[in-house]
Amino acid sequence: MELAMAKSSNLTRTDLDSSFESQLSVSSRTSYRSLRLAEKERRKNQTGDPFVLALKYFSEVKAGTPRAGNDILKRNLVLVERVGLSRGMPPEAISVMLDFAMSLRMGGVTSVRVLKFLIPATVVPQEAVVRAVSWLCVGKIAISTQVLFLRWVLTVFDMIDSKDHIRAIYGFIFSFVTEENLSPYICHLLYLLTRRESVQPFRVRKLLDLQTKMGRQPFLLHLLSLYKVFYPKLVTLALPSRMRSGFKIHNSTWKVALCAVQKRNNGQVSSDISLSLGLKDETNSRKRKFHHLELPSLSSSIQSNSSSSRSRKVLSLEQLHSFPHLLDNLHCIELPSQMASLLGSSLALCYLDYVQDDSVFLRLNFWLGHALHEEFLYCSRDGSSGSSSEALHFLNRLLSTQHFLQEGFSSTEGFLYKFLNVWDGSLLRPQILGLLSDIPVVPSSCISQLLFEPLMQLFFTSTLFFKCSVIDCLNNMLLKWLTWHSVYALEDGLDISLNRHTPMNMTLSGFMDSVMELVRFVGRLATMGLQLEGCHSLLLSFILDFYETVCDMFLKYGLPLVVMPPAGVFYPALFSTDPVSVDRLSYIMYRYKKNLTSAKCQQQETKAFHISRQTCQEFNHYLLFMVNCLWNSKMFLPGMAIEVDQELLVLSKVPEPWTSFDLNHHPAFLGYALDFHHKCWPERKDIDFNSIKAAKPWNWYLEFLFSQGFQGLQQFAQSSINRRSVAGISGQRGSQPTSR
Amino acid sequence: MMLYLTTFPYQESSCIMGRRDVQIHFLTLLVLYFSVMEERNSTEETPRNNALAQRRSKSYRQSMRSCVEATHLAYTSGLLTALRIPRSRKAPKSCDITKQVDPDQVALLVKKEWQLSYVTPLYQFRHTQLKSYSKQLSAFMVSEKQQGLAIEVGQELGFKVNFSVVLGLAETDKDAETVFIQILSKQVFSAKDDAPKVVWSGWLTCVNGDLDYLRSLPLEFVSLPLFCTRGPESLTVLVKSWFENIFDCCFGPLDINSTNLQWLASLWTGCHPTINIQYLKLVWTLPTLPPMDVTYTVHPQDAWELWDSMRQVDTTEDSISIDEVTGFIKGLQSHFFRHFRIDLSAGSLMQISTALGSSHHSGKIKIASPNYIPTILQLLTECALLKMPI
Repeated sequence: MELAMAKSSNLTRTDLDSSFESQLSVSSRTSYRSLRLAEKERRKNQTGDPFVLALKYFSEVKAGTPRAGNDILKRNLVLVERVGLSRGMPPEAISVMLDFAMSLRMGGVTSVRVLKFLIPATVVPQEAVVRAVSWLCVGKIAISTQVLFLRWVLTVFDMIDSKDHIRAIYGFIFSFVTEENLSPYICHLLYLLTRRESVQPFRVRKLLDLQTKMGRQPFLLHLLSLYKVFYPKLVTLALPSRMRSGFKIHNSTWKVALCAVQKRNNGQVSSDISLSLGLKDETNSRKRKFHHLELPSLSSSIQSNSSSSRSRKVLSLEQLHSFPHLLDNLHCIELPSQMASLLGSSLALCYLDYVQDDSVFLRLNFWLGHALHEEFLYCSRDGSSGSSSEALHFLNRLLSTQHFLQEGFSSTEGFLYKFLNVWDGSLLRPQILGLLSDIPVVPSSCISQLLFEPLMQLFFTSTLFFKCSVIDCLNNMLLKWLTWHSVYALEDGLDISLNRHTPMNMTLSGFMDSVMELVRFVGRLATMGLQLEGCHSLLLSFILDFYETVCDMFLKYGLPLVVMPPAGVFYPALFSTDPVSVDRLSYIMYRYKKNLTSAKCQQQETKAFHISRQTCQEFNHYLLFMVNCLWNSKMFLPGMAIEVDQELLVLSKVPEPWTSFDLNHHPAFLGYALDFHHKCWPERKDIDFNSIKAAKPWNWYLEFLFSQGFQGLQQFAQSSINRRSVAGISGQRGSQPTSR
Repeated sequence: MMLYLTTFPYQESSCIMGRRDVQIHFLTLLVLYFSVMEERNSTEETPRNNALAQRRSKSYRQSMRSCVEATHLAYTSGLLTALRIPRSRKAPKSCDITKQVDPDQVALLVKKEWQLSYVTPLYQFRHTQLKSYSKQLSAFMVSEKQQGLAIEVGQELGFKVNFSVVLGLAETDKDAETVFIQILSKQVFSAKDDAPKVVWSGWLTCVNGDLDYLRSLPLEFVSLPLFCTRGPESLTVLVKSWFENIFDCCFGPLDINSTNLQWLASLWTGCHPTINIQYLKLVWTLPTLPPMDVTYTVHPQDAWELWDSMRQVDTTEDSISIDEVTGFIKGLQSHFFRHFRIDLSAGSLMQISTALGSSHHSGKIKIASPNYIPTILQLLTECALLKMPI
């Protein structure tokens, strides 16, 4: 039996076969076709299959054949039923059985029974549904059976192979809407089938008539609200919140069996059984007197629905359901009436990124600017206390939108310039700083007034943590500017006409001025900040983050600009008590060297730009000092960057002060030196760091440090320290700085 | 606590006081008067590139614009915004507005108190489509009133909405023509042939709007920044949400700050020689506990003389500077202080009224005389434009 069942999903009836074959080839579901080709192969030997014979019986049985005591009918019915409920029925079988049921050839009772086990295994051929609807028009079928049929169609709607033929008989289906018992189901079906072209004034009027007759039935309203989506000019309505949940679900009869069949054929057809509707659930929208932070819902506009666009096929954004769907319809998408509604849907944002129309962004910016101004600047008589969570939510959404689009809105920018002047530095700090880091390049002429002055005031009067966040924010800002530059400078080079309509060109030098201003500003902030906070290592770490970005501007982002950190950052980092800062500083110096050398090369080749002599001098100073300090133990000597009066040094009573910051004495590496000393001379009780300085242990010590993860130090050493000797000549220090 | 004080006489003292103030301000005026009046009616026709219309900043080239906008369109509070706030205006000239504008329509605007709001530019608003807007709005009102009942657009319904254009109020060719909206409704118990009653009215206008701003808007946008309403708040909310829906714009409350109230007081007082203003009434609220309201009514002649003494230093006849205005108000305040030892400058000016009209801090205005409509509307248009987010 089991075996027979397994084979039974194949069919023989060649006439049915060929007709469906042609239909299916029309439909795009190639996966089914290949499946069916394989079936066809197997089928040839299986003409004796009882399931096939049963179907043959149902397709050929004459009307009026007695039902009572009909053993053949009984046997075949049981057979088909068992197959239907366990494995599901193949498309051809659905077609045959549906036709049998709807034609009432063996009476209504059998029909109901058949409808109840019509579980599709793969797809439902749409022709079967069309034929069944035509039987519905004959009008002999009992109302309850009609309802059962419609519920069945709604349940398997997603499994119908294609719907264009069904849509072709939209008018016929619509005519059933006046049947009182059918209309809920008919409305639901129409809802699923409706296209813009099916919305007609006479249909609207019919539905409105029905509404006056039957009252505010949810199913009518849902259908009408869909009509409103297509033609807001014809009909208007406001759905009360309790009615927004969608249509009822009518799949109770088949749900269990359908689930079981789908599980069994797992994954062959992914059909959403619940068929719930995409009507937005807005029941949780809070009541607020001033609702400027509330996103409007997507709805099509009356404006663009003029008669000219009626002929053109357009799709409103609220009908989109997936990204591929968006891609397929990219050319015919209609913008919503309120641009701000785009912010609420990620699909719409994808489209926004594609749109080129300036007015779209202007509309969005008006709304956004208005919301931000009303909420944070005008504070309209609402009392902002209760709404802080809403504001937080709003700003987070705005942030994620800007990150998604990878750019800031100009209204946000304008708002921030105003808001920075009144901000206390703590209200919604992460969000505000996040938005701030998104602002596009500000011309150097106004950057100080718009950005630096208010920020500086906030910076100097607030906590360490705020200082760190500001530096981090400015680092992110610089990163974004540099990324824009590296992307669009290239793009401009390729196709200048892209930007021809721009009224003003920011030149490369203009951009460089802005970046220069920003870097210098951060240099000032960092210098003062480190002083104020006693060179706090957390702050120092954020500052070094920033300079890690700065030192690589030429190589990573192609910006011919090298700016050195100010002394107020360099020396605190070099003398810092934690090894990580020294290591990062070494890495930064290493990257500066790489950038400068390749810039020099390019300068000689193309003469395209000029790295100022001063920058090179600054770099050399730092480099010399660093090598002398860490490697050569030559601090505080005449001619160095930092000169200290010798008498003063004597007064300090520090023995050999020039060695106090070389790698074996540096406070940051003290622990490592100690550790190394123990490992090298385990028997020694008195610790003498100077003994590390000897040639052999010195090299070992360096290796030891590099092995502890100080990669920056290693890279710095490899690039800048020229080992004159390969160990052996005792007494000679194995290193000299390269001179540039 | 309500302190109601009326001072009518003291012509002498107010004059003396006025002169002394003039002397004080003489110095400041000399310094500050370099702020030349803006060329409002410049005939330059070349449309500015749509600086406003710029989308996001895709490249550093584009982002430049956003900043240039900033200087033009007051991105920042503080200095940049201050540049946009006019420091001087034309003196109001009495003109017979009924020569340009249909007197019936003027009658609709005057002698009523309007609640003010500002509106961001309307997207795709067309003055030619007013009929269809009427239908749309009335259907919208009914469907919102009867939640969950679909309404066919264009049917005869409980509400009738009239959109009409008030031609002639616009001063420059960049100003969009004023639009007047009326909502009429049949009373429940009215007889069959009773005419429907006006239950709500409102108008959108722009008089002498900032030319730079209006030029920078793309063609699809119509800027009618000032929205005046009168009628039940519930209807106002519905109308606003319909506009927001259809024209993708945003509404916000427009209050008249004390500087602008002072402007109005001065402007109206300056009209006294032509039309008797009958009285000048100013209401201050002082931040005491509980707050104290001071109503200060000045005899029109006294007020005018004080104002005129302020004006003496001015050489150009038809322009008024902000310093004259503050001088005028300070004169009134110090006079009050001399008599009652209450320093009004510590409080805030809430309301002013004359026979020509009245205005309240919370954004209410009433224009009684049609002759000075354009002056008042220009001032209010400025206030509304200053509220624009971009």
